[in-house]
Amino acid sequence: MMSAAFLCCASSNAMAALEVFACEPEWASLASEIGGDKVKTFSATHARQDPHFIKARPSLISKVRRADLIVCSGADLEIGWLPLLLERAGADVQRGAVGNLMAYQYVPLLDIPTVIDRSLGDIHPDGNPHIHLDPRNLLLVGKELLNRLVLIDEGNSDFYKLRFAQFETKLNTAIARWLEEGKQLEGMQVMTKHKSLSYLIKFFGLEEVASLEPRPGLPPTSSHLAKVLESVGSKNVRAIIRAPYESDRGIDWITSKTKIKNVIIPYTVDGDDNSGDLFALFDRSLAILKSAL
Amino acid sequence: MLRIKFAALTCLLVILGSSPLWAASDQEVELLRAEIAAMKAAHEERILLLEAKLEEVAVAKVAAKSEASSDEIIAVAPIRPATNRRQIKKNLFNPSIGLIFNGQYTQHETAEGEIAGFAVGHEGERGGEGFAIDHTELTFSSSIDDKFFGSLTAAIVKHEGKTEIELEEAFIQTMPGLGLPTGASIKAGRFLATIGYLNEHHTHTDDFTDRPLPYRVFLDGGYNDDGLQATYVLPTDFYAEIGGGLFRGDDYPFGGSDGEGIDAWTAYARTGGDIGENQSWRLGGSVLSGKSTTGRESNHELVSYVGDTDLYIADARYTWAPTGNATNQEFALQGEFFWKEEDGFYSDAESGADSVLMDDSSEGWYTQATYKFARNWRFGARYSQLNAADVPTGLIGSHLDGEGYNPKAYTAMFDWTNSEFSRVRLQYNREELASGQGDDQIMLQYIMSIGAHAAHKY
Repeated sequence: MMSAAFLCCASSNAMAALEVFACEPEWASLASEIGGDKVKTFSATHARQDPHFIKARPSLISKVRRADLIVCSGADLEIGWLPLLLERAGADVQRGAVGNLMAYQYVPLLDIPTVIDRSLGDIHPDGNPHIHLDPRNLLLVGKELLNRLVLIDEGNSDFYKLRFAQFETKLNTAIARWLEEGKQLEGMQVMTKHKSLSYLIKFFGLEEVASLEPRPGLPPTSSHLAKVLESVGSKNVRAIIRAPYESDRGIDWITSKTKIKNVIIPYTVDGDDNSGDLFALFDRSLAILKSAL
Repeated sequence: MLRIKFAALTCLLVILGSSPLWAASDQEVELLRAEIAAMKAAHEERILLLEAKLEEVAVAKVAAKSEASSDEIIAVAPIRPATNRRQIKKNLFNPSIGLIFNGQYTQHETAEGEIAGFAVGHEGERGGEGFAIDHTELTFSSSIDDKFFGSLTAAIVKHEGKTEIELEEAFIQTMPGLGLPTGASIKAGRFLATIGYLNEHHTHTDDFTDRPLPYRVFLDGGYNDDGLQATYVLPTDFYAEIGGGLFRGDDYPFGGSDGEGIDAWTAYARTGGDIGENQSWRLGGSVLSGKSTTGRESNHELVSYVGDTDLYIADARYTWAPTGNATNQEFALQGEFFWKEEDGFYSDAESGADSVLMDDSSEGWYTQATYKFARNWRFGARYSQLNAADVPTGLIGSHLDGEGYNPKAYTAMFDWTNSEFSRVRLQYNREELASGQGDDQIMLQYIMSIGAHAAHKY
């Protein structure tokens, strides 16, 4: 009787899903791809929130305290809130622990500054943290996520490995397709609001001719916009692309004076109605860019 | 090897590219250059990826060797891709250093600014007029090792014509590596106690230039004492936190501790959560209790108190931001209620009262709202009020005799935040702190920071 009760509880314990705290929706989505129903994911931010600027809200403290694994972009993207949350979390998810995965450490980074000075704006000393918009990075991070899941939950390692293998195959096929279908985007000239889309720009071979922010993180000024407008006169800029959480301040002014289109890229999972998972996110981004061509 | 191959390839390309140079036009040269640059970039990237793979394979081999039973890749250490990653991180400096510049220009309308019916400490008094650099704060902090974190905050202040260093905080705190239960932490040293809402925040993070009236009279700006504090975040689905501390009892509202025993203690409980996507809230209740053994001085050392003080605080904060994105728009509502009970003996050198027993309670509260209407701009309003205790016969005519008047203050502010590191603020106060006394105040303030800057609490 006793042993039966013990067995029931032990097995229900083994069944309890691993709690994954993702700082951004893309990592929650990646964790679901690999972890399936063996993980329970939670994303601290959603597509309409700037992950650099949310607050360490009380609700997030309770979530991170219960997490078995946290997955974040890192590279100071979450510097305004994650350190406060980690103060309240367990030892297993602290920096350097198996349960703490900072995605930027596993991919080649863009925009690594050579000069670091606060007068240059919102500088990320490690490089641009918006790494998920190059799908090849999802494979690199996914591989490490698999390693972590296997270490934390060895009992389900075969399950995770199988799911990762399926994800890898599916993503590799999709990447080849996106590159093929995106060929016509190569060299397409765009302007950006912020450096949030740099990896997507690189993946599809777009050319970023100007940014509306005079310096990273500083809002557009009228003198800077005038300069931008002047500089694009000789170019063939198709669109100003931005993430859903970035304001359209300054964009209307440029689009009203030119034929440049105002384009919102979903940026992350659920960034619009047709970006429900990581595959849809890139399908949709590709379609949007093509229609702006 | 790859690099050598690549170098050879580049040389070859350059030779091929440059041999017909005599015949090529400038435009063609430019085209070739661009092509080489593109190839170089493409190859470099390819090499980086290959090197990363190589490293990965090496790690895998090591893992395979060490784990004969399994041939899986199990790498805990980051597989560092071969980018030239500089290691400039603030946490590699030991310790991280931050400096807060805080300056202001103040103008008062009246010469008098005393709060009727209350014992007021030095920090709780009305600030000085004219140009002044208030608290210039210097913070050093760092993890000490895998188990402890340490932080020191010193304020450089001017006090009675002399520049002094005030030790605001100097504490060590346990980190999760120590092995305490998850969610538990212990802090020791001198620190801003976790009570109410504003108390644990440094003044430079406040939404207004000065602290509201209850903070000025009940806590002399803020309670930071020497002691020990434990906090615990409950393992519940919603946020709930409890904690408490033991203190020397040397800081206002206590004072004159002879160091024998523990003269003050605190306890608090908090909860909070989200309502949909746009709203968050936090509620808390706390107690600060202790005794002044040899006498707490106030009102320019004219008033002295020996006895027990219990302070009960209720605090609430609510924020609203469209889709939870506070970058461009945010509304915050915050309020605290204070109830203070005193049972002890007051002396007032001016009125001649000598050790008069007082056993009564006083109250105070404030409520404030701030609205960020554009990325860099906010305005806010605050109202604070105090209800003084009725005084016994022996204290009539003393500083504690408010003659039934309830001091109040109205505040409006407008600020501009250029970046996370700089803010300029204009504030207007209307203070009616004693019967028939109205004071209009204007304050212009800047708060800027350099160096490491800790994230702000909710």
